[in-house]
Formats: sequence, structure tokens, C-alpha cells
Amino acid sequence: MTHSLRKYMLAAASALALAVATPALAATELTVQRFFGACDAEFGGNTDVSKAVGECGIITSLINKFNTDNPDVHVTVTTVEWPGYDQLTAQFAAGDPPDIVTVHHSVLGDYQSKGLLMPLDDLLKTVGVSPSDFTDASLSGVTKDGKIYGLPIDNWTMLFHVNVDLFKKAGLVNADGTPKLPTSVDELMAQAKQFKEKTGKPYFVQNLANEVALYTRNLYTYLFQQDSDFFADPKQVKMNTLEAKKVLEMYKAIYDNDYTTKDLDYAASINAFLAGDGGVHLNGTWVIGDYTASSETSGTALNAGGYAVYPYPQLFSGKKAQYADGHSWAVSQKDRSPEEEAAIGKFLKFFNDNDYEWSRTGHLPAVKAVLESDAFKKLPHRDTIAPIATLGTPLPSTVQRQFAIQDIIGQEMNAAITGQKDIDAALADMESRINELLANI
Amino acid sequence: MAEATLSGSASAAKAATRQAVQNVNAPLWRHAVFVAPYLFFFVTLLVVPLFWSMWLSLHKADAFGVGRFVGIDNYLRLFRDKIFIQSVGNTFYFVFLTVPALALIGLLLALALNRKTKSAAALRAVYFSSSVLSVTIVTLIWRIVFIGNFGLLATVYGWFGATAPAFLSDPKLTMIGIAIATVWWCIGLPMMLFLSALQQVPREIYEAAALDNASRWRTLWHITLPSIRRTFVLVIIIEIVLQFQLFGQARLMTQGGPNNVSKPIVLYIYEAAFTKWDLGLGAAASEILFILIMIAAMAQYFISRRRGEEG
Repeated sequence: MTHSLRKYMLAAASALALAVATPALAATELTVQRFFGACDAEFGGNTDVSKAVGECGIITSLINKFNTDNPDVHVTVTTVEWPGYDQLTAQFAAGDPPDIVTVHHSVLGDYQSKGLLMPLDDLLKTVGVSPSDFTDASLSGVTKDGKIYGLPIDNWTMLFHVNVDLFKKAGLVNADGTPKLPTSVDELMAQAKQFKEKTGKPYFVQNLANEVALYTRNLYTYLFQQDSDFFADPKQVKMNTLEAKKVLEMYKAIYDNDYTTKDLDYAASINAFLAGDGGVHLNGTWVIGDYTASSETSGTALNAGGYAVYPYPQLFSGKKAQYADGHSWAVSQKDRSPEEEAAIGKFLKFFNDNDYEWSRTGHLPAVKAVLESDAFKKLPHRDTIAPIATLGTPLPSTVQRQFAIQDIIGQEMNAAITGQKDIDAALADMESRINELLANI
Repeated sequence: MAEATLSGSASAAKAATRQAVQNVNAPLWRHAVFVAPYLFFFVTLLVVPLFWSMWLSLHKADAFGVGRFVGIDNYLRLFRDKIFIQSVGNTFYFVFLTVPALALIGLLLALALNRKTKSAAALRAVYFSSSVLSVTIVTLIWRIVFIGNFGLLATVYGWFGATAPAFLSDPKLTMIGIAIATVWWCIGLPMMLFLSALQQVPREIYEAAALDNASRWRTLWHITLPSIRRTFVLVIIIEIVLQFQLFGQARLMTQGGPNNVSKPIVLYIYEAAFTKWDLGLGAAASEILFILIMIAAMAQYFISRRRGEEG
């Protein structure tokens, strides 16, 4: 009896010891938080990245592949609604941020200035990623106070996505069959008018409802093209200017003349363009992959006459430029074990190594070698959008709260364009609201 | 005497017993143990944050730390801010749109469904079912109804060759669109409250009215409505307090736009605290909301009490 009792106790003790010891042998857990949407139904189990299409499909498949390739690391993904910064701020405030998180280059400074992000120079060096690997645009996007605060994965900008079939019907094609794009504001208005008369459809497909980002990016682009130095002082914006007024007047004329779709939100605008409801969709680099796939499917509106994509046309006489930003993986500042840091290093290296796969979304790669590679250049439409590598211009990196500024610009521009507010009043309010925000940081 | 002594000793014994009983009811410290769990959460989750937010509203603060003391500066900034004043107006407008609608539609539904048939029971369940949905699902449903070109409304209007009203982007309609979604979502609670009140009206009064040959209108006006007056006030108070806190629907359907016409106070607070990282300003705005809700609730309470005393 005593003997068997002792046996049982020994067995229990060894089971307990095993249970305690097991976690040390388990995979290192990393929490990753990202936007780019959820698509688990389609790509939840996919590890063959080459089969994936679009931002969501490719990033889901990449992380699946990382988990499969690295049994000693386990990445748990939380998908947040774009851009997810309100949630991230609350997580940081509660002391419970994810390990790795998607952050725009334009937003890195907000978190970095509060000491919430980990400088990555040393970690990247240990896994063999050198800052000189990155393109200049990407490197400057993630560098704050001389240190790297995010692994850049791309640079992006807004583009003219064109339904070539409708452009042909409108008679807006060059001799070689490519769509004819405007070179000035007057030409844009004339072409939009012609487009509407010939096709009965609006020239632009825009998401003007429930939206701030599109307005803001459009304004920045055409301010750059007029050499407007609106953020000469990063703490004091100048928006109540003649240049800004010209841009708002142009978009208001487009709206008033019904040269654009109205009342659509972002998702509805994509549906509208894919259904052939307008000629030019103003959207980012990230939809090139999806739109190309749609144009290759017979029976779709984009298959009828083809899909083409171009940088924003130069409508003003200033510098050739358009607004650009980029995505990066940032790492939260936390006490971590060497294993956890090594796991993060592996994750970042994996994304750096697979930057080509990510560039299939339509984004410009962050890795110089990928940008210069034949594989990238052979991807569809990369020849027509190649100039964005030099055209892309971000806001000065010293401008803080760029997403809060975007909200203000978007609200005021929407009010001016849809006629709820006088353009001058909207610009004056825009300027004073942004300056109030910046004065209270 | 002996009797007296006897009775005296008996009463002394009784008193001793009573003393023991009284000890149980007497205010003893150990009784606090019974309320301590509730009190703990009440204090930590409600009282402390209440005073903490008052303290914060006097500081320049962000989510990562309290900065310097600025006195009533945040409140002055609020009253100078056109958007904040607009959001207060928007919130009142929304309460005005939804609370009477919820009370009246809830009452009508309750009157119509206050019978013991199977179809009434089924309909009660149907009308209540929307209340169990989360705000995310509710706004998703209504965005599918309202969105231009592809929405249900646009499709139906399209059959007649008409353009649907833009409930998500027309500045005159956005608040009404949000109010429609909210009434659809919240109608279950007022209906249930009215139903339970209706079922407590004594049947004898209706029988007496029937004997007096009172018409259905007279019965409704002189018996039913006066009997559920207190519930009516209760519904109004609950709904005012609830609807003053509009947030999710506006955030998810319109983001407060266009031109801030559908931005309620809570969305303003949220944006100040989490998007602009101006926690002090957000705290100050939430104090204003607290005062507004308190005034509304107190006013309703006093009005209902005075009427109750007169009646």
C-alpha cells in the first residue's frame, strides 16, 4: 500500500515536472496586429504565397508560410479595421501592445516620439538586414532621429485606374490605343465633359461618402504640383492659400458637373469601378493586383477593353510630384527574452526576403534589389507606374498626427466640394483646426 | 408583586433576547462584508474613474501620461470649438428624433401585441429580436440598405427610375438615417416595458368600463394610458440617457460626417482622446456630457414626481 502510494506520488510529481517544463520547449509566441483586411475563408490555410492575390491574400499567406517554416515560433494575428491606430493607442496606454504591428511611415513618428517603439537597427543587423538594402524612399520613411523604427515593406501612392473600354467609347485614346490623360485642369474638365457625353457615365469613380483619406491625398498631390510649401513649419500649416483654393475649385467643379460618382463609400466605389460605372477610379497602388485579376476574367467590365493604370497626371506647372506614404512593421517597446527578440528578428527578415511577393499587390517594393529586379519589372502595369518611384513625395516626417490632420482636411474638403460650405470658409477652418491640433500636442 | 416580579423577569428575558436580535440588525462593521464586493467594483470602476476624469479634464494629458495642470483651459477650448458646439446640438437633435419615436412606436407595438394569441407572441419575439444584435451588425445591415448605387433603397428606387435619398451622405438626412437604424435597433426594450406595464393594469377596471359601455378610445384614454403613466416616464428617462450616448451607429455609418453634421458628443470625445491624443480635452467634453445627461434625467425625474403627487 505504502509502496504503491509512493509510486503514485512519484508519477504525479514527474507529470507535474513535465507540465512545468513543457512551456520552455514550446514555440515562442509572437502577437502580430495588422490591417489589410480579413480573408480567412479564401486564404486562411494557404501557404503557397504565389497563389495569393491582393494585399489581404498575400499577407495572410505570407504569415501562414512563416508559421509553417518556423515551428519554433508561433505568430498569432489580430486583424484590425484600417488603419487601427485608435485601438493601438489604447493598447499602448493599457500597457498591452502587440509585439509587431503595421504602421504607416507617416505615423511612426507619433509613437516613436513617445518612446513606444523599439529601434530596430541592432536587431536587423543580427539577422543580416542592412539599411542600405532599402530604397531611399523607404529608408527615409522609417528613419526617425537617425534610427530605424520599422521594417519598411513598401511605398504606396494614389493612381488613375482606367477602364480602357469606356475611354475608347469616349474617344479618349491616343493613336497607340492607350488612354489619353489630361495635362491641365482645363483639359481634365474638357475630357470629363466629353466622357460624360459619349458614355453617359461619370469620368471619375470616387468614394466621397464616409471618407477622409482620398480628399486629403488628392489635395496634397495637387499642392505639391503647385510647389505649395504648406508645411514649411511642421507645427503650423498654411492651407488658406490660392493653391489650395484652385484644387478645391477643381474638385467642386467635377462634383457639380456630375463628372464623378457621388454617395459611394470605399467598398461601394470599388464595386462601381469593377461594374464599369465610370472611367477613372482614384485608388491606391494596392488594388493593381486585384484589378489586373479582374481584367483577366472574361465577362467583367475591365475585361471588355482592358485595364490600365497611371500616376496622377501633372495638372499644374510646378514640380512633378504626387503624395506618397508607405507601410512598415514596427515593434513595440517591451521587456523581452532573447528568444522573443530572435523570433521578431526572424519575422522581419522573412518579410524583407519576401518583399517581391508583397510587391505583387501593386505597391512599390521597399527593397532596392526587388525594385530593380526583372521579376518585378515584368509584373503587369509596372512599366506605366514606374515614374511613381521618383514622383512619390511624403509630408515632412516632422509633421505629427498626420492621420488626425487627414480627418480634418477630409471633413472640410468634403463640406466644400459638396457645397455645404464656402471654399474660403472651409480652407480657413481647415487651417485653424489643424493648427489648433498641432499647438496642443 | 410576585406577578409583577415574574412579569418583570420575563420582560427582562425578552429584552435580552431582543437585545441579541437587535445586535443582528444593529449597524455593525462586519455587515459591510456583504456589500463589500459590490462596493469594491462600484468604487473602482465608477467612482474613481469619475473623479479621475474630472482631474484629467484640468490637465494637458495624452494616453501615455498626465502632463501639466492647465486649470479650466480645456473647457475654454471646448467652448471655442465650433465642432464641439455642433456636436452638442447634433446630440440634442438625435435625442429629439429618437426618444419620442421610441416611446410612441414602443407603446403602439405594445398595445397591438398585448394579447394572448400565438401570432402576438411570435411578433413580440420578432420586434425584440433586433435588440440582441451588436451595433456592428445593425450598422452593417443599415449601410447595406442605405448605400448609393448598390443598396436596398437604391435598388427599390431604381425600379421606379428614381434616385434614392442619400441617407449616408446628404447632410440633411444623415442624422435621420442614423435615427432610423437606432429606432429599429432599440425598439425592443420600450415595447417590453410597456407590455409588462399593460399586463399589470387590473382587469376589473376594464370589466367595469365594459359594463359602463365605454368605447375603446375612452378605455384607452381614461384607463390604459393613465395606468401606465409611470412606465411612460421611465421609458423616456431611460431612452434620453441611452440616446445621449450615441456613438457606435454614428462612428460606423457616417464617421460623424458629412461636415460633422452627424457627430455626437461621444464621438467627439473619442476622437479627441484617441485620434488627437488630447485626453484632457476628451475628459473635459465627457464632463459636459455627464452634466447634460444628469440635467435631463433630473428634470424628467422631478417632473414625473410632481405629477405623481398631484395625481
